[in-house]
Amino acid sequence: MSDKNTIKDQKSLSQQKNINSRRKFLSQAAATTAVVATGGAAANNLPPNVPEWQRHLGKPVNSNPYGQPSKYESSVRRLRVPWLTPDSIASISFTPLAEIKGMISPNGLAFERDHGGLPTIDPEQHRLMIHGLVEKPIILTMDDIKRFPNVSRIHFIECPANSAMEWKGPQVGRLQFTHGMTNCCEWTGVPLKYILEEVGVKPEGKWLLVEGADSASMSRSVPMEKALDDTLVVFGQNGEALRPEQGYPLRLLTPGWEGNTSIKWLRRIEITAEPSYQREETSKYTDLLNPRDPKRKDLIGKAYLFSWIMEAKAIITFPCPEKPLKEHGKYVINGLAWTGTGKIKHVDVSFDGGINWVQAELNGLVLDKCWTRFSIPFEWNGEEVLLQSRATGEDGYVQPTLKQLREARGVASIYHNNAIHTWKINKNGEVESVQV
Amino acid sequence: MYKFNQKLISAVILALSLTACSNDTSQTSTETTTKPKETSVSEKVANAILPSAQAATYEEITIKTGGFNLGKPASKEEIAGWHIEVSHGHNLPPGEGTAADGEEFFEEVCANCHGSFGEGVGRNPVLAGGEGTLTDKMKPERTVGSYWPYASTLLDYTHRAMPFPSAQSLTWDQTWSLSAYVLYLNDIIEDEDFVFNAQSYKEIHMPNENGFIRDERPDTHNTRCMKDCKDPASIKVKTALLGYGSGAEDVVEETKVAKGHELGQKIYDGTCRLCHGTGLAGAPKIEDTLTWEHRLKQGLSKVHKHAINGFSGQSGVMPPKGGNMELTDDEVKAAVDFMLKDIEQ
Repeated sequence: MSDKNTIKDQKSLSQQKNINSRRKFLSQAAATTAVVATGGAAANNLPPNVPEWQRHLGKPVNSNPYGQPSKYESSVRRLRVPWLTPDSIASISFTPLAEIKGMISPNGLAFERDHGGLPTIDPEQHRLMIHGLVEKPIILTMDDIKRFPNVSRIHFIECPANSAMEWKGPQVGRLQFTHGMTNCCEWTGVPLKYILEEVGVKPEGKWLLVEGADSASMSRSVPMEKALDDTLVVFGQNGEALRPEQGYPLRLLTPGWEGNTSIKWLRRIEITAEPSYQREETSKYTDLLNPRDPKRKDLIGKAYLFSWIMEAKAIITFPCPEKPLKEHGKYVINGLAWTGTGKIKHVDVSFDGGINWVQAELNGLVLDKCWTRFSIPFEWNGEEVLLQSRATGEDGYVQPTLKQLREARGVASIYHNNAIHTWKINKNGEVESVQV
Repeated sequence: MYKFNQKLISAVILALSLTACSNDTSQTSTETTTKPKETSVSEKVANAILPSAQAATYEEITIKTGGFNLGKPASKEEIAGWHIEVSHGHNLPPGEGTAADGEEFFEEVCANCHGSFGEGVGRNPVLAGGEGTLTDKMKPERTVGSYWPYASTLLDYTHRAMPFPSAQSLTWDQTWSLSAYVLYLNDIIEDEDFVFNAQSYKEIHMPNENGFIRDERPDTHNTRCMKDCKDPASIKVKTALLGYGSGAEDVVEETKVAKGHELGQKIYDGTCRLCHGTGLAGAPKIEDTLTWEHRLKQGLSKVHKHAINGFSGQSGVMPPKGGNMELTDDEVKAAVDFMLKDIEQ
């Protein structure tokens, strides 16, 4: 994913782009200020005038039978970074975290990672086969699956490559790209244990090979323990059918584990005695180690296999590069935290690059393996600030610094970067992604 | 060194510590009793609009498991059609092949993306080389030869997902011979006439078979330090290489406004080039003017129609919209027009 040459090639170009976009940002900011200050067409709708939209009838009810966001929200969308992947088919889009208004990612904004493109699947012709070390191999239709007891659970999904570009140094300059390979939805589906009881797993059946119906036939090995714990076979997302990007009509969900194990377009579960060592759990999604810690030299060149859990991570979503501070005064800093081991216990915020920390408040629901909102009030008077957030899980695990991660694993392991991130608020209110 | 307005920050922190501590008795209860209790504006703001969170749990589902008797039994034939994986040590497929058999076929169907020597074209995966680089701090090269622990994975993935535009189209013989060739490129198979099959599989030893250990995380041990956690002099600020746009924004804007050949090229690059740039799966290459002229004799609208609805011809299969059903008809037409722009019509 982080091909050095390409990154290098991009450098001079991007520096140029950076300057351009910075100028654009400033001119846009100036334009906004000008409208507010001097009026123009928009001012006709401000007090004491009666707004234009209040003086005539609106559109008929149900003009848009499947609702759409306001046209003023059209800039809120997933984005791709074209240089990251060889093509646009085996690729990834990023959730616009700066625009998320709560603990749920809307279906149209949830990040998407496909390895063989997005399949279009007719649910009438979709089947889930369960076979292997079972008493009774079966084939289920979507109707069959929906007759099992089902539950709704709000869980995050995070690609283990989230923040992967940041191992060697700060690379991408916006929240959507540093942290956007995550989403959090209410997932409705059948606990996998019900389906496994139906087929009768033989005692030697300790692993599952789970496989998707996409062109990559995406496949992973999942241990029986996880399958019987909280794994779901999901058909619903935020109150409606799964979106195609999330595996319509059926996906696996392994809460708290790296997103790749939550196989989308789930078509087959095979019970096996051993892991199947699929491509995405050997050549990819393994953590090649080169610890900087001299006491861990024996691990140099080794790689973690089956590193499933997404460890605790917190990120400030306001302010951030996409959401600068436009004027001095009081603000509430907002952010999201999650951990694959359970619930978030604390989030702390630092204003000085990690020297001193203050406990933030957790807002709303604190749920297992779920985005948890946090906030802290802040008064800004034009100073430079190095803003960080640090999550602690109920298991006592504290989100590491980048230095600690590099000591444990080096800088070339690609996956599972959950380091504390730093935003630098500049004197003009712009926010930059930095490392300290 | 990085300078802060210490006065501002400490003032904010004091106010906020009180707010935070008053809602959490487990962590810092001693601090709340020692610090003066005063209500700052920040604290008022926080208390007014930010209700403190409580950990929540789901009600357990109480329905007993088992005995739903849903679905139909899977027959042996049905299972055989879907049971595609190859696992290390078992499930090895029938058929066989040699590196010599695989070489020509590799050149034909794989080299477009992976390069003739497995060196990788563009950002496509490098298949060969990288020997001894896994201990490199900055640029370890993870290839089939340098990194993959088992040859079964190569057989499995090649058959399961390759060639990229036409998955599960290879026979097992082709899979064995292509895999043998990739192992040959990595000097793991040294004799190009070595017959690679289920019997000889155990003779193959991948160099990095013992390179993997089970996940040892948590491997970091940060503590919840709250005050004077590091030396301010140690803070050096490094700014992001790619800045705000990070190479994405401009692309989005272009997609939105692109028209005509500009739009056509976008679509071509994203969807069509994979086959029509390389001749993969029997696709006529973009520069094969004669082939296109021949096709155009049927009229442009017919070519458009075939591109939109798909077409099975003698040389190969054109999937509807090149397999990208997200494209509108007009986008497909624009891509076709772009591809034919230099051809006399």
